Amino acid sequence: MVQWPWRLSVFAFAALTSACATVQPWQRGDLARTEMAFEPDAVLGAYRRHVEFSKEAASGGPTLGGGGCGCN
Amino acid sequence: MAATKPHSPSLSALTAAALALPGVAAAEVQADALYAHYREADISGSRSATGRDAPRYTIDTLLVRVDAPLGERALSGNLTVETMSGASPWWVQPDQNGKPVQVMSGASIREERVDVQLTYGLPLAGLDWAVSAGYSDEDDYRAVNGGIEAAYSPQAGAYTLSAGLGYSYDRLEPTRGASSPDVIERADKDSLTAYAGVSFIVDAQTTMQAALSHGVYDGYLSDPYKRAFITASAATVPDRRPSERHLWSLSAKLRHYFAGAGAALHADYRYYYDDWEIEAHALELAWHQTLAETWRVIPALRWYSQSQAYFYAPYYTASRGDGLASSDYRLSPYGALSVRLDLRKVLGAWIVGGGIEWYAADADYALGSVAVENPGLVEYLVLNLRLGRRF
Repeated sequence: MVQWPWRLSVFAFAALTSACATVQPWQRGDLARTEMAFEPDAVLGAYRRHVEFSKEAASGGPTLGGGGCGCN
Repeated sequence: MAATKPHSPSLSALTAAALALPGVAAAEVQADALYAHYREADISGSRSATGRDAPRYTIDTLLVRVDAPLGERALSGNLTVETMSGASPWWVQPDQNGKPVQVMSGASIREERVDVQLTYGLPLAGLDWAVSAGYSDEDDYRAVNGGIEAAYSPQAGAYTLSAGLGYSYDRLEPTRGASSPDVIERADKDSLTAYAGVSFIVDAQTTMQAALSHGVYDGYLSDPYKRAFITASAATVPDRRPSERHLWSLSAKLRHYFAGAGAALHADYRYYYDDWEIEAHALELAWHQTLAETWRVIPALRWYSQSQAYFYAPYYTASRGDGLASSDYRLSPYGALSVRLDLRKVLGAWIVGGGIEWYAADADYALGSVAVENPGLVEYLVLNLRLGRRF
């Protein structure tokens, strides 16, 4: 049951990287805009993850955990 | 007790810029502050064992972050100070009709948490590395954590691969109810977290990120401040959960820039599964609208749904054979909706802003039907103020 995420991720990685488009550096002006960042506001993003993690069972993503807390 | 992990400054925040303009590094010191006021709605009399409305938690948070470039290297520091007060769900019991009602903790709780995180980033052997360490302290809970992350972008910068490994040691010493014979004196737990991800350019206006993460928690994973009601004995027992938890998540993020509108669409999805048999989905959409070059308005909508842990019940007719018991609403089946609006204004080297978020958990928002809703599901409002300065 728990093996499938790994298999799916390998498949997804192969599919995604093979689909990478060739966009030249001088064509990346829009991609470099601050609102296009995966996390435009790291401070607010960290706060919201903190609240959601203390009120929901699920967590995870491309970030590491920090210090814990006893949240009720 | 849920060990909450405010995520450390991460390579992920740098990924988009690195991916878009390889070789261009931030050259300014950046300082940011956030103040947030979090207030949970009262639990209504129809859900409370007393039949009366009862107040819940209020949390005031101050978070300060400084990012400083040191040539090709970078240092980042986070300080979080939280003040918490109010009452929290204690256990759930049936009323005369068998309907679950919530018993809240009696005395008002007041405590403070201080959390410090440091991250050092450096290029080494063709990779961008980040090493982090942190410490969190409150009356009844202490945690130390560390982590290492690495990212690789080829010269053309069409994609970025990233991976990280983190560890946390948490120790808790309950203060409330410590004199009760069945409340633990102290306990600890170890948490190991790992992730691997890829960010890539789809076209000149679109990027994507996909990641897989895995966590292993080992030790005391119960909540010493919660209890579960057994109808056969008409008494409560301490919250007791398995001593191990393995969790997995798959996440995907899409960013697309609409040049005509001057706005960026953010679409994030996460699938989660753990060996407590909780399955969850989270979908979030945000619209980052730039106005008059110096204003930004960001409306967002988030939907979340989870199934229940295999040992969870609002209350138990008899003790389980394995001795597990928890009526924590966070392990119950439910869904949640949140709506938020953030505003930013650039004033020279300063950025000021604020925002509001409303969050409500409800069985009706869950994927699939929920047989019995936990009466302790939360509804909250968050107001935040932001201030930033580039030097």
